[in-house]
Amino acid sequence: MIKKICLGLLLSCALLMGLSLTTPTVHAATDHSLTTVQKKGTLVMGTAPDYPPYEFETTIHGKTQVVGMDVAVGQKIAKDLGVKLVIKSMSFDSLLVALQTGKVDMVISGMNPTPARRKNVAFTHTYYQGGYSIVINKSDQGRYHDKDSFKGQNLGAQTGTTLYNESKRQTTNTTIKGMTTISNLVLALQSHKVAGVAMEKPSAKAYVANNKQLVMIPSHFNLSAADTSTAVAFKKGSTALVTAANQSVDQIKHQDLINKNYLPAAGQYLKTNTVNTSMWHYWKAFLTGVKYTLIITVCAVFFGFILGVLLALLRLGHGSLLQTAGRWLATAYVEFIRGTPMMVQVMFVYFGLGLIVNLPALTSGIIAIALNSGAYVAEYIRGGINSVDAGQTEAARSLGLSRTAALRYVILPQALQNIWPSLGNEFITLIKDSSIVSIIGVSELIYQSNIVRSDTYRGVAPIVVIMVLYFILTFTASRLLNHFEKKWQHA
Amino acid sequence: MTKPIIEVKNLAKEFDGNPVLKDITEQVNPGQVIVVIGPSGSGKSTFLRCLNLLETPTSGQVAFDGQDLTTLDTKRVNELREQMGMVFQGFNLFPNMSVLENIKLAPMKVKGVSDADATKRAHELLQQVNLDDHADAFPSSLSGGQKQRVAIARALAMDPKVMLFDEPTSALDPEMVGEVLNVMQDLATQGMTMVVVTHEMGFAKSVADRIWFMADGYIQENSTPDDFFAHPQTERAQDFLSKILM
Repeated sequence: MIKKICLGLLLSCALLMGLSLTTPTVHAATDHSLTTVQKKGTLVMGTAPDYPPYEFETTIHGKTQVVGMDVAVGQKIAKDLGVKLVIKSMSFDSLLVALQTGKVDMVISGMNPTPARRKNVAFTHTYYQGGYSIVINKSDQGRYHDKDSFKGQNLGAQTGTTLYNESKRQTTNTTIKGMTTISNLVLALQSHKVAGVAMEKPSAKAYVANNKQLVMIPSHFNLSAADTSTAVAFKKGSTALVTAANQSVDQIKHQDLINKNYLPAAGQYLKTNTVNTSMWHYWKAFLTGVKYTLIITVCAVFFGFILGVLLALLRLGHGSLLQTAGRWLATAYVEFIRGTPMMVQVMFVYFGLGLIVNLPALTSGIIAIALNSGAYVAEYIRGGINSVDAGQTEAARSLGLSRTAALRYVILPQALQNIWPSLGNEFITLIKDSSIVSIIGVSELIYQSNIVRSDTYRGVAPIVVIMVLYFILTFTASRLLNHFEKKWQHA
Repeated sequence: MTKPIIEVKNLAKEFDGNPVLKDITEQVNPGQVIVVIGPSGSGKSTFLRCLNLLETPTSGQVAFDGQDLTTLDTKRVNELREQMGMVFQGFNLFPNMSVLENIKLAPMKVKGVSDADATKRAHELLQQVNLDDHADAFPSSLSGGQKQRVAIARALAMDPKVMLFDEPTSALDPEMVGEVLNVMQDLATQGMTMVVVTHEMGFAKSVADRIWFMADGYIQENSTPDDFFAHPQTERAQDFLSKILM
C-alpha cells in the first residue's frame, strides 16, 4: 500500500519535473491560427478591466460584465470572423504571458504596439489614437502644469504599461510610483501618496467626470505614434488571424466607430454606474468574493491536507531504496515550495503548466495553493507523528496491527490532535493568502473589491468592507476550530 | 513430550555494534510461566522484544509454534504477533480512546470481529481484571494499576497463546503492584503461557515454573524457583541474589 503511494508520488514528481523542463515548442511552418479559432467557434479576448472607458466592469441586470470601447472592438472582430467573443479578465501584467501561453487568443486592453512588445507578439493596425494626461487633486490646481512640474514629487503610473516606462524616462528628479491598477493609483492620489497619476486621456476624462475632487492637466510627454496608439495583439506567427482582424480594425478606423459609437456607449455605463456607489449596492459582488475565497480555501485545505499526509509519510519512510528515494524527493519538494513565493507558484501553475494543459484560473489557483499548503501541512504532520510516543506504535504492533493500520488507527489520530492548533492556523492563513490568486483573475474577495473600487471610484470603503469580511471569515473559522479542539480533548 | 511454543536458537542482538544479547538458546513449553530476572542492563527487555520481533535479531532464530519468525514476511509476522500478547512497563494505552475502545480496536481491525462481539468480549475481560465499571473512562483518568490491568485486558482480547510481560509493575506506586500481580497470577492459574521480565522476587518464587537468570547477554541459569533461590549455581547469580535479598 505504502509502496504504491510512494510509486505514485514518485511518478507525479517526475512528471512535474518533466513539465518544468519542457520548453514551449515553436510552430513556425504552417499557420492554423484562423482555422483553429473558426473551428472552436470562440475568440477569447484577454483584458484588464480597470481602465475606463477602454474596459471596466459594470453590473447589468445583477450580473457583472466587462464593458468598454475595447470590448466593442473585440465584439466587432469576433462578429466579422463569425465566432463568439469570450472575455477573460486578468491583471495587465499577465496579459501578454496569457497570450503567449495560449490562455487567450488576443489581447485588447488599451495596449500600445511598442517595438519591445512587437518582438513577442503580433499587432494589428492601430484602432485608436489616444494621448496621455495627468490627473491631479483639485486642491493642487495651478501648482502642476505638466510632467515637468513634479520635481521632487511622486508621479503614479500603471506598471507594465508604456506610460510607466516613458514617465520614468522623460521626467527628472521625479519618483515614478508603479501600481497594478489605475483605481489604486487614484486612491493613492486622493490620499496624497502621489501628486499626480499619468494615464490615457479617455481614462482621465472618465475619472475627472466622476470625481469632483480631481482635475486633469496635459502631460506633454514626447511620444511617437506607436506609443500613443492602441492595437490588438495576437500570438506571434498567427498571420492569418491578424490579417482577418485588420479588416475589422480598418473598418473601425474608416467609419470612426470608436468616437461615434463605442466611446459614447461606454460613457453610458460610466454614468449609470456612479449613481449608486453605496457598498450595499455591491453586496452581490462581495458575496461572490466570499464564495470564491471559501471555495479556494476549503478545496486547497482539503487537497493540501491529503498531499501533506503523503509527503509526511514519505519523509518518515526509511529502509528500502525506494523509500529513501521517496524521502529525498519529499524533502526536496517541501524545501522548494517553502523557499519560493506563493505568488510565483500561482503564476507558474497558471501560465507555466498552461503550456501543456489549459487549466481555468480557479482550478490553477486551487492547485497552486494546495501544492503550497501541502508542503507546510507535511511538516506539521511529520512533527505530529514524531511527537507521538514510540510505545504507542509498539503497543499497536504487538497487538498484530500492521504498520499501516497502526499509523491509521493509533498514530495519526493522536498526531492530528497534537497538531490541531497548527492546522487551524494554516487554515486561517489560507483564507487570507488565497487573495494571491486575484492576480490570475479569480473573482475572490480582493479581486472583487478591486472591481468595486474601479467601478465606484471610491477607494477606502471597499477596503474596509473586505477587511470586515475577512475578519468575519477568519474569526468564525477560529471559533469553529476551537470548538472541535475542546471536543477532542481527553488526554 | 510436548512441543515447545517458543524456541530460541543462538539468538544475538547488537545495537550499533554493541552486543546486548550474545548467544541465547532456550525454549518455552505451553502452559509454562517463565520469569526472567537479572541485573539492570543485562538485556532482559531486549530479549523479550526479540520474541515478538519488536526488535529484529541480529542473528539466530526465534520460532513460534514451530515457525521461524526471522524468515517470515511482514504479513505473516503480523499474524503470529497477534498470538503473543505484550504488556509494557509504560502501559502504552491509546490515550485518545476510551478503555473499551482500547480493548476493541485490535479484534475489530485485525480479526474483523463485529462491534457487538468485540464489546461483549471486552466487558468480559474488564470483569476479569475488575475494571468493568471504568469501561467508558479515558486512560488519563485511571491510576497506574488500573491502566496496567486495562493493558492486560487489551492484550488478552486477541486470545493470545503466550503473554509477554516487560517489567509490568516497575512504573507503579508500591500500593498498586499487588492488584496487577494478582491479575497475572490468575492468568497463570488458568494455564496461560507467560514470559515475565520482573524484579518482583515474591512473584517469581510463587508463580514461576522456571527462572531464567540473565546477565551479560547470556541466560546464565535456567532452573526451578526453589533451586534458583536456594542454590544459585553461578557467581553472577549469587552476587545478584545477595544484593536484592540482603
